[in-house]
Amino acid sequence: MQNSYSPESFRVVHPLQDKPESKCESEGLGPIEMTAGARISLRVLRCYLLLMSGMLLYHVLDLAAALHRLR
Amino acid sequence: MRTNNSNLLEMDAGSKPGIVVRRRWQQSTLTFLMVFGPGLIVMEADNDAGAVSTYVQAGGQYGLHLLWILLLLLPITYFVQEMVARLGIATGKGHAAMIYERFGKWWGRFSLFDLLAVNFLTLITEFAAISLALSAMGVSPSISVPLSAGGLILMVITGSYLRWERTVIVLCLLDLAWFVLAGLVHPSWGIVARNGFVPHFPPGRISSDLIFLIIAIVGTTIAPWQLFFQQSCVAEKRLRFADLKWARLDTLIGATFTVLVAGAMMIVGNYGREHGIVFEDPAQMARAMAPFAGHFMRNAILLMMVNAAVLGTTAISLASAWAYGEVRGWPHSLHKKLWEAPGFYAVYIGCVGTAAAIVLIPRMPLQLVIISVQVFAGLILPSAIIFLQLLLNDHALLGDRWVNRPWNNWINWSIIVVLFALSLLLAAQVMLPRLFN
Repeated sequence: MQNSYSPESFRVVHPLQDKPESKCESEGLGPIEMTAGARISLRVLRCYLLLMSGMLLYHVLDLAAALHRLR
Repeated sequence: MRTNNSNLLEMDAGSKPGIVVRRRWQQSTLTFLMVFGPGLIVMEADNDAGAVSTYVQAGGQYGLHLLWILLLLLPITYFVQEMVARLGIATGKGHAAMIYERFGKWWGRFSLFDLLAVNFLTLITEFAAISLALSAMGVSPSISVPLSAGGLILMVITGSYLRWERTVIVLCLLDLAWFVLAGLVHPSWGIVARNGFVPHFPPGRISSDLIFLIIAIVGTTIAPWQLFFQQSCVAEKRLRFADLKWARLDTLIGATFTVLVAGAMMIVGNYGREHGIVFEDPAQMARAMAPFAGHFMRNAILLMMVNAAVLGTTAISLASAWAYGEVRGWPHSLHKKLWEAPGFYAVYIGCVGTAAAIVLIPRMPLQLVIISVQVFAGLILPSAIIFLQLLLNDHALLGDRWVNRPWNNWINWSIIVVLFALSLLLAAQVMLPRLFN
């Protein structure tokens, strides 16, 4: 229904009281299409996460003083 | 049904819901007021306890010299959250659900786990702030923390989204008190304006402390939970396609208000600096200010700290509960009663209750919690924002109407590159501190 118009008045409906709209449906679409941009972005993200995990591992080992023992 | 001599006409008693008005401006104003909420809440809740601490510390250490960063962050937060609102309106689903559906279970689980972890750790810091601020006012943590947790739980279990939203908007508007506090310390408004609009660094050497404070300000202003929260909130409020322009205005107002409040916090921190106060947290600053600024100032700062923590807690816990409910396929709505969505409410209550209980543990290692928040945030923010950008370019899902325009993409990719670099730097500083000494 949304906000309807007649020549003399406007009806304003709260979204929660309005009829549901049909939205962009994702069901049946499956995974996102891997365009070159999407592929590169996800690859960069993986590298970033690996780097962060490496730093985290180093930090944990450092805190546990394991690195000092190795040195 | 219409009255004869009123411009604003009452609720139609017939079958059609809504309010009838005669003027187009009334229609626009009323529609905006009905849509208003998620944008303001997501932005203002981001001025949580950690943010108060960061902004006040920035003012306390560097005066007003970092005010311009806030102005720079205004368009950045707006552009990011506008994408979130657009995706929420277009799909009617939350961010976690969209990642699961379009990027598969692995990325879905990774994002969900990381979000829940960073949110939970942040909640501990929020309750720690409540405990700290109210202890400074003479209220024992064993009273203040369970009482706030109880209040936060009561806020959401009423079975009405609108009741929760209105309560939270009132809490957001309480932040207007920061403007009163900034006014009471009588800053030179000319200097405030110059520092706000002219980018520059504080006099002296650019130290690693300064760089990391700047990164912390950026990290505080753009938090990962915001992406998940606003999209779920927009879906919960069932905003319609036609509401997008009002949702954008809501987001812009929220972003502007938040940045102005953050500026007011820096001004208050600067006042402490001008009086030679050295502090590590806002509660300490408030106590030290009392002898020359008065008890009103002290109590107001402490209460605003509590308000910030309460706002942050409700928004962050809801972001977790919505995300988990979406992914598990549980009923996940504030419209439902406690027994109609038990899993959703259990996540919310569990997060709030456990975080509050942890804060009551004696000698809790808060520093470790803060470091873990930064590490997890460094993992989740770049990931969530990449997924957001890819989803906003997903023609199969959104069609041509809702996808990003090329100019959107240029701006957003630039923001993403900057956020990646800053997140990496911040995480590196936390995990490899020797690199920066």
